[in-house]
Amino acid sequence: MEDMLEDTVLVNLRVNGKLHELEIPAHKSLLDLLREDLNMTGTHMGCMTGHCGACTVSIDGRVAKSCITLAATLSRAKITTIEGLTEEDGTLSPIQQAFWDEAGFQCGYCAPGMLMCTAELLESNSDPSDSEIETALAGNLCRCTGYQSLKRAVKAAAVKAKEKAS
Amino acid sequence: MSLYPAFARPRDLGQAAEIMGSLSTGAMIIAGGQELMPSVNYGALMPEVYIDVGQIAALKGISEEAGAIQIGSFTVHRDVQNNDLIQSKLPLLSYAAAQIGGGMQVHNRGTIGGNIVAMHPLYDILPSLLALGAEVDVLSDVGEVRVALADLMKDARHGLGSESLLVRVHLKPMMPGAGWSYEKLKITAGGYGSANAAAIVTLDSSKITSLRVVVGAVSALPVDMSDTLSDCCGQAWSAHLAEEVEARSSAEIKEPLSDHQGDGEWRRAMAGVMARGAIEAAIKKAG
Amino acid sequence: MGEQTSETEGYVGRSVRTIEGRGPVMGKATYTNDISFPGQLHAHILRSPHAAANIKSIDTSGAEKVAGVVRVVTGAEAAKYIDPIPHYIDPAVFGGRSATIRCLALDHVWCFGQPVAVVVAEDKRTARYAVSRITVDYEVTTPVIDVEDALKDGAPMVVPGWDANMIMEVPFGSGDVEQAFSSADRVIKTDVKVHRFSTQPIETRTYNGVYDAGTDSITLHGTVQNPHPLRNVLSKILRMPENKIRVHAPVIGGAFGMKMHGHPEEGMVCFLSKLIGQPVKWVEDREECLLIGAREQVHSVELAVTKDGMILGLRDHYLANTGAPSSCPGWGMAFLTGLTMPGPYSVQNVDVQLSAVVTNKPGWNASRGYGKEVTALALELSVDNAARELGIDPVDMRMKNFIKKDQFPYDSPTGLIYDSGDYAGVMQKAMDAIGYDEWKTKQEEALKEGRYIGIGVGFELTPEGGTLPGTLVGGYDSSTVRVAPDGSVRVLTGVTTPGSGNPTGIAQIVADELGVRLDTIEVVQGDTTSCPYGFGNSSGRSTIVGGGSAAKAAVEVREKIIKVAAALMEVDESSVTMKEGVIASGDKIIDLEEVCYACYTRAYDVGSVIEPPLEATAMFKPGLVRHTPNEKGQINPYPSYSNAAYVAISEVDVNTGVVKLLKFSVAHDCGKVINPILVEGQACGAIMFGIGAALAENITFDENGRQLTKSLMDYVMPRIGDVPSITLTHHDSPNPVNYKGLKGAGEAGVGGSAAAIVNSVNNALSPFGVMMTETPLTAPRVWSAIQAAKKAQPQRKVA
Ligand SMILES: Cc1cc2nc3c(=O)[nH]c(=O)nc-3n(C[C@H](O)[C@H](O)[C@H](O)COP(=O)(O)OP(=O)(O)OC[C@H]3O[C@@H](n4cnc5c(N)ncnc54)[C@H](O)[C@@H]3O)c2cc1C
Ligand code: FES
Ligand code: FES
Repeated sequence: MEDMLEDTVLVNLRVNGKLHELEIPAHKSLLDLLREDLNMTGTHMGCMTGHCGACTVSIDGRVAKSCITLAATLSRAKITTIEGLTEEDGTLSPIQQAFWDEAGFQCGYCAPGMLMCTAELLESNSDPSDSEIETALAGNLCRCTGYQSLKRAVKAAAVKAKEKAS
Repeated sequence: MSLYPAFARPRDLGQAAEIMGSLSTGAMIIAGGQELMPSVNYGALMPEVYIDVGQIAALKGISEEAGAIQIGSFTVHRDVQNNDLIQSKLPLLSYAAAQIGGGMQVHNRGTIGGNIVAMHPLYDILPSLLALGAEVDVLSDVGEVRVALADLMKDARHGLGSESLLVRVHLKPMMPGAGWSYEKLKITAGGYGSANAAAIVTLDSSKITSLRVVVGAVSALPVDMSDTLSDCCGQAWSAHLAEEVEARSSAEIKEPLSDHQGDGEWRRAMAGVMARGAIEAAIKKAG
Repeated sequence: MGEQTSETEGYVGRSVRTIEGRGPVMGKATYTNDISFPGQLHAHILRSPHAAANIKSIDTSGAEKVAGVVRVVTGAEAAKYIDPIPHYIDPAVFGGRSATIRCLALDHVWCFGQPVAVVVAEDKRTARYAVSRITVDYEVTTPVIDVEDALKDGAPMVVPGWDANMIMEVPFGSGDVEQAFSSADRVIKTDVKVHRFSTQPIETRTYNGVYDAGTDSITLHGTVQNPHPLRNVLSKILRMPENKIRVHAPVIGGAFGMKMHGHPEEGMVCFLSKLIGQPVKWVEDREECLLIGAREQVHSVELAVTKDGMILGLRDHYLANTGAPSSCPGWGMAFLTGLTMPGPYSVQNVDVQLSAVVTNKPGWNASRGYGKEVTALALELSVDNAARELGIDPVDMRMKNFIKKDQFPYDSPTGLIYDSGDYAGVMQKAMDAIGYDEWKTKQEEALKEGRYIGIGVGFELTPEGGTLPGTLVGGYDSSTVRVAPDGSVRVLTGVTTPGSGNPTGIAQIVADELGVRLDTIEVVQGDTTSCPYGFGNSSGRSTIVGGGSAAKAAVEVREKIIKVAAALMEVDESSVTMKEGVIASGDKIIDLEEVCYACYTRAYDVGSVIEPPLEATAMFKPGLVRHTPNEKGQINPYPSYSNAAYVAISEVDVNTGVVKLLKFSVAHDCGKVINPILVEGQACGAIMFGIGAALAENITFDENGRQLTKSLMDYVMPRIGDVPSITLTHHDSPNPVNYKGLKGAGEAGVGGSAAAIVNSVNNALSPFGVMMTETPLTAPRVWSAIQAAKKAQPQRKVA
């Protein structure tokens, strides 16, 4: 029985395409793993209770709040963080470009959540309505923009992404 | 409480039962972590052992067998929302799952099992499950038993989360033609529910023939109003009946919650407003 | 993109995207918590669970035994090494009571959450756990929670040794108030209660203290709005000279006043790092962040009015529950609330009095609006109440009483000098933009269907760029403009950015004044070692003084470049133009880089016409401020008076009390718009604060003074679905004494928009006779008000 208990946990994570094999303590959140073990600080801490969304990443293609995701439960997973949105040659993705052009953020602290959720939204919906945008971003708080420019940024991102695809 | 918790990752139900049976208190099952982790992060919970049940195939999947639908406890809210079978046969549940807060992120990771076991007064799934008459399979070191969810919730010693495992939920498909509704009252978009109600109604030429109503978020556990309101059966919905339903549902809330969502007096009143609204909306859909 | 204005050529006035925006979208911006050093240690603080108690003893041995713990420090030990925290705004300077504030409590705690001891450990989790192993023997005493209780005879003293629970009482106003009240047709009294709510940036406060033994110096990397003033504070706490201290503010994740200093943790991490010899970081939990309050005030506004709605006089003796003493500048907000009365209204007979009360709630810090948002709430709710009592239209009543646009500069009865404005014009624009009259029709139609739509207006006068004598709340600022030999530009400025985009505004100004391309400019902020002395970010000042000073410096550098260009081209200086990096004289064109290189390298021939390097530092000090008291003893701490009108359309569900906003409009006078898209962002952000304030955000306590609001589940901030579409229009009256007429655009809007919402809800519920003047209007409160109104007037038949 005791042999079923592990003191540390081995996880294999592909983060933004790069494979990491890590031996981690059982209690570690994915947020801490990214920030502390992998030095990827683009994903932010705003509450540690799942309310703000600043820590959002995508796990196997679905957005998640990394602060309330126990890293040890992801024995094998593909993770994309905000850093992973930038293309390999350094060009910004349509979403990043649109958020920048339309002032979809001010201080930028909420950007990880807003951008990652927009990315997931646009994957299945190339022309989101206001209410679809509201649903997609409902898990994220922004304290600076008042959300108006953010909505505009999501719409602009949709247009840019379509242009790029065609 | 441990600074250095251990981790267990049972591969099947047998291993899970073995681990739960062998560990003393302080072990904790973790599914999506959406409920557990906020407390872990603030040091309010420091489990000795995390039992990760995410690898157990038996906890996953949605299927139909012998006229009943089974939902594995490790099914995330998003899959409950989008699954064809649930959408067609249990539309109430699929709709209720979509009303959960926390955004897509929580929908993607929070599980139906975790939501049930949390038994949190403000959450969204229990009222619908109770209205649907859900049964659940519970596994412990003495084996697997099937119990009505309503009975399980009354049992303070169910041990779920550390000594026993919720395996799956059984539900009978809703009757064709039944009207349903889930009403959730929120003060603002980011607020948790302050009151909610799930209702299922069948009609026979505008007379109510059956009625299930469960009101949530107003007391420690959801309150099943179906018996209290059973004499609605045989009647047609009217302004008078609506007022009566509202008043009686409110009166049924003996110990209303009083918290950041609102005080007890308002909660009690809202219990009535939600029950009435849910029945009204369900009747509109019935036919 | 937002609205484009092309009235001017150049960058100013255009919606350009921020120069600093690339980092955040890539996840590559460096915030304070992103910085760690080898040997990094982490601190966690033990906080008082009691609102008032004497500390009899502290046993830290349990914590010390935890593996990974490096050091446990109590208040008594800390006091051996460090001194109390100087006040950002010392009440004593203004004749008030001043308490001694320490990083860690010594033998007494006066609020829930006050730091009592700190654990430094190798990781944050160990530190947190070890804190739970410290035992403190408290002798709990009776706290005072409400202002009314605090002022009762025999009330326990929040600060041991004080003879009253009062920082100070301040009278404002002048004129013949008695006469105004006795000659009025009516006196209408409105009790306005504003609750405790907070700014809560998504990035919580974070500090990392790094001691360097070799130079015996300290660097604080932190979420700091005002690096230079904090350096002075740290020097006092740490007993070190300022030149041994560096304060560095990396990218900040929103501030709104919260990150103005005086917090115990700033000095604490520095001291711990010096004590231990390793870097020490502290990251605020959200629960800790929620301890910082603001704004809780009780007003009793009396308006002396004629029956057609002219306001002849105003009286308002108000109480501010500022919580326990703190070194942060929060308490000063209560002062500004009174000073800004009677806002935009032309009322000269004013008797306003502040009682800044201390209680055993946690203290305040500065919050967007800095007290002026409460002025707006108190005034705008009172005007609506008075209009209803008099049976006149609330907009008409405002129009009648606004200061007229030809009355500026206007001397307010509290001693302020309003620079410029057209308040009626601003109000009209906000109403036109939303279709005020159409909404009235819609409202009537909705009522027939039993739907309750409300239309509310609110006005906010927001003095910006404030400066107080004898404090490090400075009115001026300085910037350095440097042009390198390759022609690229670096601007170093004393103002900082909370993430509002001011570096871009400053760069736009420099690009135009210097005559270079915007993308060749870098702006450096937030570092006491590299930037010229400045007061950082507060009070909507950053573009006014940062931009103003950078413009002056840019002009000086431009002159040098033009001189050398003329020498190189062998033409007359006056014929040389320089625009977007192109230097020309007639049809001769010369490369900017060639000229700049020559400035540096040819100091003995063509370059000798100037003094290298291509660098200038300039200071901008706005006019209109008067720190020498006038004959009534009044000062004017503000150079500019931005203002805005808000119109809110809401719908109330009378069965539940839930308020839903349908539409919003704001017309804003910020003097001059440097970058429309940035100004829009500020306005919408402030309205979102107003929505949260009016409807949901609330910090509550139990009867023992323990805070109940602990997480973002309890403190509910607006989400994307809560904010309706907002129409923004401008109606600018340039400030006559500021660079380009700027007035500031960052602070305004919290109170005006919240007031518009409250007024809209009261308007929606006017068929019931409901008039709510206590915030927030949560659904339970709205519902109870409707129930009470129904009970009081059962005969009234409502559609
Ligand atoms: C920001 C935020 C907002 C939220 N808003 C809502 C909302 O509006 N409505 C709502 O309903 N919910 C809400 N939730 C809660 C969340 O959706 C549910 O609680 C979720 O379903 C929990 O599932 P989980 O798998 O993540 O649970 P976990 O955190 O993994 O577990 C929760 C509890 O259940 C136990 N457990 C889990 N699975 C099993 C099992 N199979 N057998 C026995 N015990 C088990 C665990 O031991 C633990 O005690 C919110 C959460 C967050 C973070
Ligand atoms: S830090 Fe994860 S949701 Fe706030
Ligand atoms: S931009 Fe600051 S929190 Fe969203």
